[in-house]
Amino acid sequence: MNKRAIGVKRMIEITNLKKNFGPNEVLKGINLKVNKGDIISIIGPSGSGKTTLLRCLNYLEKPDEGIITIGEVSINARKVHKKDIYTLRKKSAMVFQSYNLFQHKTALQNVMEGLIVVQKKNIKEAQEIATELLRKVGLEHKTKAFPSHLSGGQQQRVGIARALALNPEVILFDEPTSALDPELVGEVLSVIAKIAKEGKTMIIVTHELNFAREISDRIIFMDNGVIVEEGSPKEIFVEQKEERTKQFLKRMVPELDYSI
Amino acid sequence: MTIDFPFIWTAFKEILKAIPLTLLLTITPLAIGFLIGLLVTWIRIGKARLIRLIANFYVSFFRGTPAIMHIMIIYFGLPILINQLVHYFELPIETNKIPISLFVILALSFTAGAYFSEIIRSGIASVTTGQIEAAYTVGMNTYQVAKRIILPQALAQSIPNITNIVVGFLHTTSIAFLVSQTEITGAANIVASKNLKFLEAFIAAGIIYWLITLMIEMISHFIEKKAKSYISSAL
Repeated sequence: MNKRAIGVKRMIEITNLKKNFGPNEVLKGINLKVNKGDIISIIGPSGSGKTTLLRCLNYLEKPDEGIITIGEVSINARKVHKKDIYTLRKKSAMVFQSYNLFQHKTALQNVMEGLIVVQKKNIKEAQEIATELLRKVGLEHKTKAFPSHLSGGQQQRVGIARALALNPEVILFDEPTSALDPELVGEVLSVIAKIAKEGKTMIIVTHELNFAREISDRIIFMDNGVIVEEGSPKEIFVEQKEERTKQFLKRMVPELDYSI
Repeated sequence: MTIDFPFIWTAFKEILKAIPLTLLLTITPLAIGFLIGLLVTWIRIGKARLIRLIANFYVSFFRGTPAIMHIMIIYFGLPILINQLVHYFELPIETNKIPISLFVILALSFTAGAYFSEIIRSGIASVTTGQIEAAYTVGMNTYQVAKRIILPQALAQSIPNITNIVVGFLHTTSIAFLVSQTEITGAANIVASKNLKFLEAFIAAGIIYWLITLMIEMISHFIEKKAKSYISSAL
């Protein structure tokens, strides 16, 4: 209540989120609150449920239990309607590990697609927005290129422009640099950092710990389907309290070695 | 026996007149079959179990039996059914006035539908799930995803298969001659019987089939190049 008084608005609230794949419990009751403008990074070992958590937020995975609220839209997994899912999805946009651009559409058309089909904007307006966003991610010279003619880094930047175009309440990044050649990671991270500065709410699942530490307001460490520890970058990377967090960071130490 | 070469040209000109009917019997079933194929594919990848079983049975049966069977079953069976209905509802329809070509078109439409369903299904399988997920996260509904993302790519992928089925159906229309349709083979048979020059007439018919096939392939090539311009560069 106090926070609201000073102008912090709750954007996302996840309550007791559970998800099983068969006998495999992937999410064991996740609770999470995200404020407007927050930049949250989710880190943790493979198989810890980070990606599943992200994919539950837009119902690419249907959770078995739990309530997800984004903005004024709230869905209880126990009684969910198709319509609610569509409404919820319009609140967020996603950037995928493997870019997932529409292969039969040019860079510009990829960015325009949601504007025309979902937001019913006219072509001219959509074109203007899309061109502007491609300029923002440094691809104004590639508007007419098809995804198969773009490098991984360029494709991912188009993916980011496509997500931004929808002007969503929150952008979900699912390991946005994991599929990239090492020399292309930088260009994508710098675009993400640029957007982060503009005050967009973002949730990023990532293995780029240095990057997470640099841009995040809050770090969430997940392991084995639960949130083990969460806090400021300093609290997680320097003053971590949980043994599992320490272990994980220790394993990642070589990565932490190079300076930030 | 010698070949009467000039008669090949005579027969050729005579058989050309059968091309419109042949094309009608080829294109109409393909067009209707395409729509059936879309519908059946949609059912087959859908969740409704009973109609999915029916759709699977339909595809399996019609791909598992020759087209001539479908024509014969519809040609002999449908009038009986219609007669019953006419009798029951006292409708002013005379079954024997229904043009035979309609039965052929109907039968071949079902044949084409089964083949199209398989073609479209494999085309859809070539679209990566990632793109479908991306379309959903953009906010599209299932219909929009199908229409704007899945089908354009599925169909572009399917062009070689569709060309095959078009050529195949052009050739399949030859069996309509068995229910006395004067398409290319029927026309050839008539010219041949009248002049007792079978070899020449069928050589002429063969050339016509071949020329039409070449044209279909040229058109398909052109369309494929346009439709697949998005896939990779150096082709």
